[in-house]
Amino acid sequence: MRDWEEGRKDREESQKRLLESLSMSISNLGRGWKIYRRSLLAMLGLLMVLSVSMVAIFADEIAVQHPYRNLTDTEDKWSNNPDQQESPPFSEECSFREQKITTNPSSPLFSETVVAESANKVSGSIAYGYYTDVLSITKIIKIENDRGYDQDISLITIDPNNSSLFVLSPDLYGNSSHYSGVWVTYLYENEDMSHWWLPEGYDTCIFGTNKEGHDVFSKVVYGARVSLTIGITVATLTVTIGTIVGSISGYYGGRIDEVIMRICDVFFAIPGLILAMAFVAAMRSVSSLTFPVWLGILLPVLMLAYFLNSHLSTTVLSGDERVSDQAMGMLMENRSLLVGLLAFLFFVGWLPAFAWPDFFGVSHSRGWRLISSLVVIVLLVGIILADRRFVQKNSLDGALKRIGSSFDWTNPWRYLNFRTVVVFLSMAILFKLSGNEGPEIVLIKDFDKLWQVQFALIFTGWPGYARLIRGQVLYVKEMAFVEAAKSVGAPPSRIMFRHILPNAWAPLLVAFTLDIGGTILSASGLSFLGLGAAPYTAEWGLMISESRVAFQRAPHMMLYPGLAIAVTVLGFNLLGDGIRDVVDPKNRR
Amino acid sequence: MRLHEFVVRRLLLLIPVMIGVAVFTFAVAQIIPGDPAALQCGDKCGLIVGYTDEGEPITAHQANRERLRLDDPVSLQFERYITDLINGDWGESQKNGRPVLDIIKTSAPVTLEMAFFSLMIAYPLGIFLGIISAVRQDRMFDHVSRFFAIAFVSLPIFWFAMLLQLYFATGPEVGGICDPIFGTEGGCFPIFDRHDQSYTYPLDGYHSFYPESGTGFHLIDSWFVTDAKLTELPSEFDTNRELFMDTLIHLVLPCSALGIASSGSLLRYMRASLLEVLHEDYVRTARAKGLSEFRVVVVHACRNAMVPIVTILGFSIGGAIGGAVLTESVFGIHGMGTVAVLGILQLEYQIVMGVTLLTSVIFLLSNLIVDIAYAIVDPRVRLE
Repeated sequence: MRDWEEGRKDREESQKRLLESLSMSISNLGRGWKIYRRSLLAMLGLLMVLSVSMVAIFADEIAVQHPYRNLTDTEDKWSNNPDQQESPPFSEECSFREQKITTNPSSPLFSETVVAESANKVSGSIAYGYYTDVLSITKIIKIENDRGYDQDISLITIDPNNSSLFVLSPDLYGNSSHYSGVWVTYLYENEDMSHWWLPEGYDTCIFGTNKEGHDVFSKVVYGARVSLTIGITVATLTVTIGTIVGSISGYYGGRIDEVIMRICDVFFAIPGLILAMAFVAAMRSVSSLTFPVWLGILLPVLMLAYFLNSHLSTTVLSGDERVSDQAMGMLMENRSLLVGLLAFLFFVGWLPAFAWPDFFGVSHSRGWRLISSLVVIVLLVGIILADRRFVQKNSLDGALKRIGSSFDWTNPWRYLNFRTVVVFLSMAILFKLSGNEGPEIVLIKDFDKLWQVQFALIFTGWPGYARLIRGQVLYVKEMAFVEAAKSVGAPPSRIMFRHILPNAWAPLLVAFTLDIGGTILSASGLSFLGLGAAPYTAEWGLMISESRVAFQRAPHMMLYPGLAIAVTVLGFNLLGDGIRDVVDPKNRR
Repeated sequence: MRLHEFVVRRLLLLIPVMIGVAVFTFAVAQIIPGDPAALQCGDKCGLIVGYTDEGEPITAHQANRERLRLDDPVSLQFERYITDLINGDWGESQKNGRPVLDIIKTSAPVTLEMAFFSLMIAYPLGIFLGIISAVRQDRMFDHVSRFFAIAFVSLPIFWFAMLLQLYFATGPEVGGICDPIFGTEGGCFPIFDRHDQSYTYPLDGYHSFYPESGTGFHLIDSWFVTDAKLTELPSEFDTNRELFMDTLIHLVLPCSALGIASSGSLLRYMRASLLEVLHEDYVRTARAKGLSEFRVVVVHACRNAMVPIVTILGFSIGGAIGGAVLTESVFGIHGMGTVAVLGILQLEYQIVMGVTLLTSVIFLLSNLIVDIAYAIVDPRVRLE
């Protein structure tokens, strides 16, 4: 093993290269920015995207301030008591509401003075999980009895000492004609709600309220968070999956390509929205995304094996034949046996994460699944980590040392590349999402409706990318530098990641940007149909859907969320077009 | 390659995709939660309907499971599913027992009609604006139309449809911008449904809003089915012309919503394609001959620029059917989209399977026809 001083030269070299590539990419970015800013529309798009992102990030600050409302979550916690949903009227001013007052003296609810309070009870840290705002009344507009007839306004007055108290006159509760109660309509101010960015004395509900009395403005602001989360998560994951599948398909060609492309054809044949709808329905009963522990062990082992494979075979066993070659050779000779075995295990025991109804109806027993998964683990780990010495001598002497020495500890810069960054980032994300309970590894704890929508959109979205990347790979594959890399003996993965993909990313970036917008559209469409976000979530599509009951009387309930969707999607589309102009000079006209 | 070879080859390529779609719909239906047997018997599932040979009671739920053969291995179920599909038995609704094929037969024409008319709006609009935009490249009109093209693509179609309803289907006193015409209430266009609810078709002594006999295409039926009646005023005189006009007017808003939304991408395609063609040599030649600019653009350039536009027709049909789901939901039209949404909300997996299968068949066939047409127009395609 080399010591620290010996690797100094390598270190300096790696550092120099890193800095070089960094400055190169910065100058490239500068050049791109010069082209980008020429287009007015593109700049407009960038502005829109930036402002929507700012709104999403600082949603807590921008939305209506309220001391008792829990606004830290992306989901709307303003859930109503479901029994009281019908009471408040639609209004464009938030200072206007109706309240029912009991006028029957024998009722236990009756009192001569009534507090004006908002009906929307809000969950939070208050006892019982609900909170009621006390309002200060500014003017009583109208009093109606239960049958809708107007009553004399002077029957109810405001307490001169306490502006949030109604005082009932004895004429009201002494009169048996409105025993069941009256509806009083009044203007109010809610002192708990405020905007720090609005001058004193302005209306706090600038977009009005919806029929539950929620402030539409705050919901639109929080909706930006939900929509951007969905858009970016889905686009990132679809790009990842599509790139992997598409590059495999394009690089290897032949039968694999044929199969993958036919699968993509199936996806293209079904309209995306219907496919996503069906998939959302299929995931209805999934409440958390888990996978069994054995898979959780297997995946890192596979990854590790992949990284160590080349080190082990080149540095440790510099003999006549590489271990990986030997193992692959063995695999290839017996591949029909292996595939048959795997297929058998697949159909009988179901190897990956979720339970599959037995395909042949052969067995319902747990034992089968356990045995089959154990066999699979042993098989795969054995094949990949098969060390020749182990095979020959049946011993693992010095295996740890060999693995250790295969790393280049003296030059940590060497490992600072795109691949490791991606691996660490994905590990961080996984760690953030996951909890660990029971015999299964929990990947996503709250697999709520938003996650279902996201998974449905990922599921329907990847074939587009696969096809795009496949075309690019086919195009780049024919170029001379790929031939050169092949001729010096670079392995397929290196050719793929170092030579082909860096030259094929331009249309991918454009598609990624456009897809964020498209995803937001589809997600809001699903929510609009009632298949997306859960009720009362601050999701734009859902808000429009909820406004349908009375959108002609109260168009403000649908105008603002729709405008928000339009602006966001338009921003991403303009941004994508601008990026296309930069990275793809052919299209620039 | 000869033309018929090309056609046969394309037809053969359809087969694996169709099988894939069938497998896919089956898999989705298997995964969808909910017990179809329990759905069918509702709250009477615990009822004992008989006894086994050993004397154990059989509940209605068990009997249903037996009848639907849900306890069979998946492989057998799949085999039965495929044979049933081929034999024309697409299952039945679990709520009311109506055959799925029957449901689709009444709902698919409605969607197709809407998709057709929306494309009739989208194509002329997109192509016309695209041509002007390309000819006046980098002028004001070009910038404005490009902006609107992107904006139309970005609009959520359900919101756009609701805006149309708000401004064109409600009276001026509520916020609309036009007065009632065509005898509609509220604004100048009707807001819901496929035709006025005062017209009905007789059905077994009841009134139905859909003709039971006929093609299912409302426009055709309203003209040819003679027994349409006004519910409110049972009249002797011929209502077919009125009904036809009414049906046509009811199409205006949904089709504009769908058509304008999809015209944006067409405009962009047309513009790009025409710009490419305008740089070709033969256009320069035509200009050099002294032809008028109009003739150069319309006769020489446009004909060639239109070829790629025709190819995306197949995709537009798929997009229109997808968009129809949302538009139908807004306008309360009982097309395939509504059927699919209801099927999914009520977990009626047979209906979901049927609709998915049918939409994909329509999509594949339209793409096939477009490809064949393309191969006829442009023989170079056949060589690939």
